[in-house]
Amino acid sequence: MSEQLNNQEDIQEVTEVDADDVSTIERCLTFESAGMILYISTNNVIEIINNHSITILPLMPPYIKGIINLRGQILPVMDIQQRMGKGPTESSCIIVLDIDSVSLGIIVDSVRQVMDIDLKNVRPIPLKNQQKLLNGMVTMEDGTVFMSIDCQALAVPQ
Amino acid sequence: MDNGMEGMLDTYLFETNSLLDRLDEMLVADEKIGDFSTDDVNEIFRIMHTIKGSSAMMEFSPLAEIAHHIEDMFFYIRDKGIDSLDPEHKKELFNLMFRSEDFLRGQVEKVESGEALDTDIDSFAADINNFLKKISGTPAEEAAQDASSGGDASQASVSVMEHLPDDKEAVCFLHIFLEEGIGMENLRAYMIINAVQECGIDLRYYPEHMETDSSTAASIIEEGFFMAFTSEDDANAAANVLRSQNYIRSYELAAVPEQEPEAQAPVQEAQAPSDARQPVPASPQKPAPAPQKPAPAKQSAAPPVKQNLISVSLLRLDSLQNIVGEIVITESMVTSAPELNQLSRDAYDNFMKSARQLRKLTDDLQDISMSLRMVPVSGVFQKMSRIVRDMKQKLNKDVHLTLIGEDTEIDKTIVDSIQDPIMHMVRNAMDHGIEDTPAERIALGKNPQGEIILSATHTSSEVVITIADDGKGMDPEKLLAKAKEKGLLVKPESEYSVKEALGLVMLPGFSTNQEVTEFSGRGVGMDVVKKNVEAVGGVVSLTSEYGKGTTFTMKIPLTMAIVDGMKVTVGSSIFTIPISNIRQSLKVLPGDVIRDENGNEMLELMDSFYPVVRLHEFYNIDTEVTELSDGIVMWVETSDRSFCLFVDELVGEQQVVVKPFPAFLNYFELKNSGIGGCTILGDGNISIILDIQSLHAAALENA
Repeated sequence: MSEQLNNQEDIQEVTEVDADDVSTIERCLTFESAGMILYISTNNVIEIINNHSITILPLMPPYIKGIINLRGQILPVMDIQQRMGKGPTESSCIIVLDIDSVSLGIIVDSVRQVMDIDLKNVRPIPLKNQQKLLNGMVTMEDGTVFMSIDCQALAVPQ
Repeated sequence: MDNGMEGMLDTYLFETNSLLDRLDEMLVADEKIGDFSTDDVNEIFRIMHTIKGSSAMMEFSPLAEIAHHIEDMFFYIRDKGIDSLDPEHKKELFNLMFRSEDFLRGQVEKVESGEALDTDIDSFAADINNFLKKISGTPAEEAAQDASSGGDASQASVSVMEHLPDDKEAVCFLHIFLEEGIGMENLRAYMIINAVQECGIDLRYYPEHMETDSSTAASIIEEGFFMAFTSEDDANAAANVLRSQNYIRSYELAAVPEQEPEAQAPVQEAQAPSDARQPVPASPQKPAPAPQKPAPAKQSAAPPVKQNLISVSLLRLDSLQNIVGEIVITESMVTSAPELNQLSRDAYDNFMKSARQLRKLTDDLQDISMSLRMVPVSGVFQKMSRIVRDMKQKLNKDVHLTLIGEDTEIDKTIVDSIQDPIMHMVRNAMDHGIEDTPAERIALGKNPQGEIILSATHTSSEVVITIADDGKGMDPEKLLAKAKEKGLLVKPESEYSVKEALGLVMLPGFSTNQEVTEFSGRGVGMDVVKKNVEAVGGVVSLTSEYGKGTTFTMKIPLTMAIVDGMKVTVGSSIFTIPISNIRQSLKVLPGDVIRDENGNEMLELMDSFYPVVRLHEFYNIDTEVTELSDGIVMWVETSDRSFCLFVDELVGEQQVVVKPFPAFLNYFELKNSGIGGCTILGDGNISIILDIQSLHAAALENA
């Protein structure tokens, strides 16, 4: 993760786009949850924390796991797997996000890496009605498919 | 406008706005009694003088000019005494003053938003001058001449200047040099002059018009500037003032050159200012007694008491508050550290002695830091007086506004966020609430004069603001019909209780007035009020009796409070109950519990029965303690409700800083499930603070 964002050659290698068209390239964090590989723009990611004790809030929907104390700041934590209608996540890995200055932690199975994704290659998900949290998919060179998390949808409780 | 102006602009806006607020307050108060007091006339004069000066300094000429005209007018009034005006004129004067205030405010707002100022002020200025002519009855020229002297070139042409500025009345001069390289010398000099004038010292200054003519800066840099006094005492007093002013390199006192040798030094230097001025075509004026100045200062009002106030950015107060909160927590962390038990007895006693001292200090610190943010609501209430006054005239309704509890202090951020809601509700009360004509009111057996009562009170944890009118009240039937028409009903009409029907007005897009008026009725009213109040954690409720009137009640918590709390556990969760809500904690024997026909548990305490809420059941928390006799029962109460809470265990008492929940969780309306906030404990864990009032509502009223 030491590569520089402004290193044109690097970006070209990864994404194979014109050097003058950097604007569509987004640096993204990829992670696993609900059996998928998801990604989110690093602009929204504050940090990744592990093994943080979560205080349960009573009378909340199941996907709201509770709140954590992150250096004096109170953050809500959400299990996105449960948000997508599946069972609870076993892991304790929390990605702290900032979505339009709403701070929020999401529990995911594991975090993979940071990589550049060309937004031009992102295609809509054909089964639109069934996905509330995802808003796009992209196939990488090795054939793996990454799904894009819709930050705006994440920041709005349902 | 160069960079140096930026910081000054903030100061200017702050000052001018506070002056206008003060003016508003006086006008509203004076209009009630229909007369200006002599003190207020002096005060208005002083306010206008200051606004004129600072506006001219900032080169906002429309503001300066209007303020100048008003200053002239009040100079006249002050001179003749307010009693020389007949009541008709006074009434007109009030209207004129309110208009002027609005004009000035409008301009200041434009300055704030960076828009261009109105340049077309002639007609308004003429209005003021005409009024002045009317009340003075003097030949028109005099007034016009008086008025035109503001920023325009002086018509007086004085013979060639000699050594010191030519001022026949002056006995003494102060010759002042500013520090080098401070920028905008003419304005700084003018600020110094202003400061001296504000102390009630009569003076003239040279170069004239330095406040509007930036070209004088050059001469001020090189040759300094002059203040002319008619008595030596004044000059000495002014010299005292100068000592407290910034940017002054040096000053010297010089008598009028009757004895040539004595005045020699300043004389030489004084030569140049006139030279420097001459090449500047825009300012042909020669030093002459400033026509608008001398008289006001002569009979100057008692020197205003200098208030020892500073304005501090809210951000800094916020961080102070946070740090104090952390200190309080850290303090209890330190004093309850388990390692202390290893100390010897003497050492421990010593430690606790110091710890108590520390506790006392942190308590004081906390109180002070909390009080810093508190401001009285009177500012907001005063604005309502003004609104009621204006609407009274426009709607032609006779309404009396009663203010109660103006001195109630509220956190500054709350004051800001409740101003709009209050304004909206007052407008509603004026527009829709109060009957259209006195005849209607008399027919209903009411006092022909309508009444709106605006009150603010404190309870231990909340500020309660009520807006009550004795007008038409709301008709639940009409509300339902209207809601139906707009498709806002969610269940059959007949199932709505009166309370629910009234609640409909808070829905977005609901407005009962058929016509949209200037003041209200756009259907974006009460729902915005509700939103604003909820944004600061408050609730709005209303009661209304058809034909009798409507009362809105806003309850707003005191933010960022530090609460004395009792920590209790339920399962693995730690809850904090505010100590102020706890009446007693008790152990219950199995036989003490009484059940009603639904199996609800009750306890008999002090000859009364109280319901029991099992916190673990209500919140669905897993715990091993399910028998009342195994755990602890907390007998809690709020204003008018009292009940028992069943918890696992008492942990102990601790002061906690209430932290609001992140905005994201607002959607889930935690308030409605009895949760008031959360706090971070000494060990970094989070404890949830219970709100006993809403817990009662959630657990017992809706069940």
